[in-house]
Amino acid sequence: MIEYLANPVFWVGLGQIIIVNIVLSGDNAVVIALAARSLPPQQQKQAIIWGSVAAIIMRVILTIVAVEMLKLPYLKLIGACLLLYIAIQLLVPENDGEDGIKSSGNLMTAIRTILIADLVMSLDNVIGVAAAAKGDNVLLMLGLGVSIPLIIFGSTVILKLMDRYPVIITGGAALLGWVAGEMLITDPVLVDWIASSMPWMHIHLPLVGDISWIQILGVVLVIGAGRYIASRDAEVEVKMVDLAEAEQQSKSN
Amino acid sequence: MLKVLIPVDGSGNSLRAVRLLIEKAALYKEPLEIHVLNVQHPFPGTVRGVHQQSEQYHHDEGIKALAEARQLLDAQALKYAYHIVVGEAGETIAHFVKDKQIQQVVMGTRGAGAVANMLIGSVATKVLHLVDVPVLLVK
Repeated sequence: MIEYLANPVFWVGLGQIIIVNIVLSGDNAVVIALAARSLPPQQQKQAIIWGSVAAIIMRVILTIVAVEMLKLPYLKLIGACLLLYIAIQLLVPENDGEDGIKSSGNLMTAIRTILIADLVMSLDNVIGVAAAAKGDNVLLMLGLGVSIPLIIFGSTVILKLMDRYPVIITGGAALLGWVAGEMLITDPVLVDWIASSMPWMHIHLPLVGDISWIQILGVVLVIGAGRYIASRDAEVEVKMVDLAEAEQQSKSN
Repeated sequence: MLKVLIPVDGSGNSLRAVRLLIEKAALYKEPLEIHVLNVQHPFPGTVRGVHQQSEQYHHDEGIKALAEARQLLDAQALKYAYHIVVGEAGETIAHFVKDKQIQQVVMGTRGAGAVANMLIGSVATKVLHLVDVPVLLVK
C-alpha cells in the first residue's frame, strides 16, 4: 500500500483523472443545472437529484463495460479517436446547432434532456477516465468516485471556473489529447508494430519517464484543430446575437 | 451623436470606466449615445442539447453583471442601451464596435479574470489591437 502511494506514477495518474473529471463531469453538471433552471423551485431539486442519480448509474455501468472492452484489440484505437474528438469539442464554443428539446418548464422534458445528456456525457467521461487510468483499477474507482461529487455539487463551481479561467478547459483538452495518444500506442494491435517499425517514436526523459511523440502529436492536434474550428466558426457567425435586444425594444416602446 | 461603448463585466475597473464617462460626459461637445455591453464566456462544445437554457443563463448572468453600471447611469438619468453577447471577450467587443459603428471605447484595463489575463493577455490588449477607434483605458 505504502509502496503504491509512494509511486509518482500513481499521483500523476490521479492528477490526470481529476482534471479529466473536472472538464468532462463538469459539463454534465452544467447541463443538469441548466435543464433544471426552467422548472419551478420544488421540481428543480427533483430534476437535479434524479438527473445526478441517472448520471452516476450510467457512469458505473459504462465504466465496467469500457474496461472490459478496452482489452480487445482495435478498441483502444477507436477509443483514442473518440477521445480526440471530445477534446476538440471542448475547445469549440457551444453554438446554435440543432436544439431538439424546447424548455417548456415541464419536469418530464427536463428529465429527458438530462437523461440524454447524461448518456452522451457519461460516455465522454468514461472514455476519458479509462484512458487516464491505463487499466489501473484503483485509479479507475477513484476516478469514478471523484466524478460523483462533481456532478452533484459541481455545477456552480464549474460555471465560475469555466468563466473566469478558460485556461482550465484548454488544459483539460490538451491532457485528453495526451492520454488519447497514450491509448493509441498501447492498443494490443499497435504496440509491437510501433516498437519494431517506429522505435524513434519513443523518448526517454529524465524525471518524466517514457513518453512517445504520438502523445505530443495528440496535444498539438487537439489544440490546433480546436483553435482552427473555433476561429472558423467565429468568422462564419458574423451575426451577433444580442440577448438583451428584445427586452429593450419593449421597454422603449 | 458620439457613439460610446463601455464594455462592462461588473468588476471594479469596469465600473470606474462607467463613472469616468459619467463625470466627463459634460466635456463632450456632442451628445453621447452610450452603449454598455456585457460579453459572456460561451460554454464548451461538449455542453449539448440545452442551447435555449444556456442562452437564458447567459442573459441572466449578463443582467447581473450589468446591474451596477446601469444603476450608476440611471442615477444620472443618462440614456443608454445595454447589450449582452456570448463570445470571446476581445473579439466580440471589436466586432460590436464595427457593427454599431462605435466611435469611442471606454473600458477598464483589467477585468474579473485577472489570472487568465496574466497568462493570455488582457481583453483590453486585444481590443486595442483589433479596433480602429480611440480606446480610453481606465485603471
